[in-house]
Amino acid sequence: MAAPLFFDYDVNNQRGTSMQPIKDIVVVGGGTAGWLAASVIAARHQTRIKAGSFSVTLVESPSVAIIGVGEGTWPTIRSTLKKIGVSETDFFRECDASFKQGGKFARWTTGEDNDFYYHPLVLPQGFHEVNLVPHWLAAEDGRSFCDAVCEQGALCDDGLAPKTIATAEYEGAANYAYHLDAGKFAPFLERHATKMLGVRHIQADVTAVKQKDNGDIESLQTAQAGTVTGDLFVDCTGFASLLLGKTLGVPFKDCSDVLFADTALAVQVPYDRPDAPMASQTNATAQKAGWIWDIGLPSRRGVGHVYSSRYMSEEQAQETLAAYVGPKIKDLKVRKIPIRSGHRATFWKNNCVAVGLAAGFLEPLESSAIVLGELSAKLIAEQMPANREVMDIVADRFNEVTLYRWGRIIDFLKLHYCLTKRTDSQFWIDNADPASIPERLQKLLKVWRYRSPWFFDEFDRLEEVFPAASYQYVLYGMGFRTEIDVDETAPTARLAAQLMRQNSVMTARMRAELPSNRTLVEKIRTFGLQPI
Amino acid sequence: MTNIVVLNNTEHRGLRVQPLGAEKRNFIGVIVNEFSHLALHYPILFSKDADTGTFYCGAMLGFDLEENLFAADGAKVYRPLNLQRGPFFAAGTELAIDLDSPSVGSGEALFEASGEPTAYLKSMLGLFRDLVPGIERTRIFTETLLGLKLIEPIDIKVSFDDGSARSLAGLYTINREALRELPDAEVLNLFRRGYLELIYLMTASLKQVSILANKKNSRLLEGVTGLS
Repeated sequence: MAAPLFFDYDVNNQRGTSMQPIKDIVVVGGGTAGWLAASVIAARHQTRIKAGSFSVTLVESPSVAIIGVGEGTWPTIRSTLKKIGVSETDFFRECDASFKQGGKFARWTTGEDNDFYYHPLVLPQGFHEVNLVPHWLAAEDGRSFCDAVCEQGALCDDGLAPKTIATAEYEGAANYAYHLDAGKFAPFLERHATKMLGVRHIQADVTAVKQKDNGDIESLQTAQAGTVTGDLFVDCTGFASLLLGKTLGVPFKDCSDVLFADTALAVQVPYDRPDAPMASQTNATAQKAGWIWDIGLPSRRGVGHVYSSRYMSEEQAQETLAAYVGPKIKDLKVRKIPIRSGHRATFWKNNCVAVGLAAGFLEPLESSAIVLGELSAKLIAEQMPANREVMDIVADRFNEVTLYRWGRIIDFLKLHYCLTKRTDSQFWIDNADPASIPERLQKLLKVWRYRSPWFFDEFDRLEEVFPAASYQYVLYGMGFRTEIDVDETAPTARLAAQLMRQNSVMTARMRAELPSNRTLVEKIRTFGLQPI
Repeated sequence: MTNIVVLNNTEHRGLRVQPLGAEKRNFIGVIVNEFSHLALHYPILFSKDADTGTFYCGAMLGFDLEENLFAADGAKVYRPLNLQRGPFFAAGTELAIDLDSPSVGSGEALFEASGEPTAYLKSMLGLFRDLVPGIERTRIFTETLLGLKLIEPIDIKVSFDDGSARSLAGLYTINREALRELPDAEVLNLFRRGYLELIYLMTASLKQVSILANKKNSRLLEGVTGLS
């Protein structure tokens, strides 16, 4: 006969700590990452917020300025903005935004005047059916890989927008992201989060962090608003990493041995005329010890020299920037921003998770800052632990995925440097030195000598920041060679030829039909985009 | 090119206009006042202005770019006001005319020898008294429906007996599912404003697509037999 089983079950303790529901989220920091995280979490849990069983509070220091140099985004930003319920028209009008269709990398391979390639945002034609790389390599018709397989390089050459005024909000004829004014984006999100999503906004300086015995953060002491308690704290305090770094002592993992850049000199450059053409891509032009970004917003350009102070003095770096911008730099204010390349060893510890610069930072070569913030915020919102008991499990999974993402971004940024053939400075020579290349990337580069990256190539995550297509564009944009086996490519040769022909036809049609980036942004400001 | 000038009875005393000047186009803007006439012959749909992206209501006239399948019907079938108005435009409260329009030349006189407007010109003045406020009413109707998320894209795909097929993009219609889910208060509001009737005229007019397709089909087949 079965006897009933009894467990020693400490009901009070369970209720008191581990079974306690996670319902009050406190985001610390009011920059892009903070408002993005607060918006994404609040939008995902709207029903509970409206029912009063869940809350999102953002604590922002009134005295700390936001960094706000992030001006480039990834196409994920469109679904993020749509999900939090922002109108794309409002976004264009209030954030000084323009369309971005990828990156143009000049002088990265040989350093010559005619040396450039695109990393566009669209996939190669028929990417899910056939890998066009070997077919393009076999054709040897002088066309760049990008132009052979997609329309976007040509659209960027012509400065065209990825859609027309009749295209619905967030939809595109070609895939796109945005360039934006980060100084306007954070306040824009703030208005939306507080007015529409029920996010509570507390403007106060955090003076002390109170922890529980198990290390969990119990509350924040603030100078102006007393004590702020919460169940989960999202650290968006920027480089300070106040909660995850300072309070919980999670160490910083430096990666300057792989990515050498450690300083940026940023400047805002006015246009010569208000109707001057506005580039549809981020321009990244390689220099002696780094590179210069050039981003076209409707009202101005954002330009910055990212360099390694180990290879170049600040004076030389200023001269390099001045040579790029031209004489008008004399009247402009150049801002110096330190870049500490690397990330926290873990991102979620106890009841604290870091998003944005508090989690880490990398040079803005592929605009990874905002997209990483979005992906982290989304993961937190979707995986929101029900109670403290399951939080550590969620945290482990979050850390695993996020660490993987940082690793892949570091690899991908390094790819741009290590494929160089430039030997005109020690900076480039050292960048190509295998000792500075992560082992995983070295192995992949070996594999890719015989087989180009496509599916089944370890880029197996559901939301890969840079998919195999991105590697294709950079590798073959920089003249990387993969050996081809004609017998292996023969069965798909006809399909490949057809796809490349289709691409030429589509490119010609889109070039004829699409308005310029500047024209469309102005039209959006005047007429607005339609919701459908 | 266009050459639009305000009409007056001295300079334009002798001008004549062809009232049935058929426009070579497959879609024409319409106003809510004429929906009940239109629905008997034309599919009434929404489209977007190519220049501003703004939604507007229109009647579908054909499948190909410059195809007006009603051109041969003349005045037998109700013609949308925007076709009836021919080369005339509203310039504030005055009437203007495009002197470069192919409809200008022969046809109906605009003025009597005395300088008085002819019956034809009077009918045009009457038309614009409907059209101008009608455009505003239609704009508000469209905006209201858009705000209630009652508009959805529609893919019109038709195959013809000569083996060809047409696929029309950029057209929108009433989202019937969203309409059914509308809260009672909104439904009552739509009814009181007369919008519910307009909505049902639009959905009913979708039946005209297949009738229009049959019309085109017969012409295509006539063309084929003509060749053999």
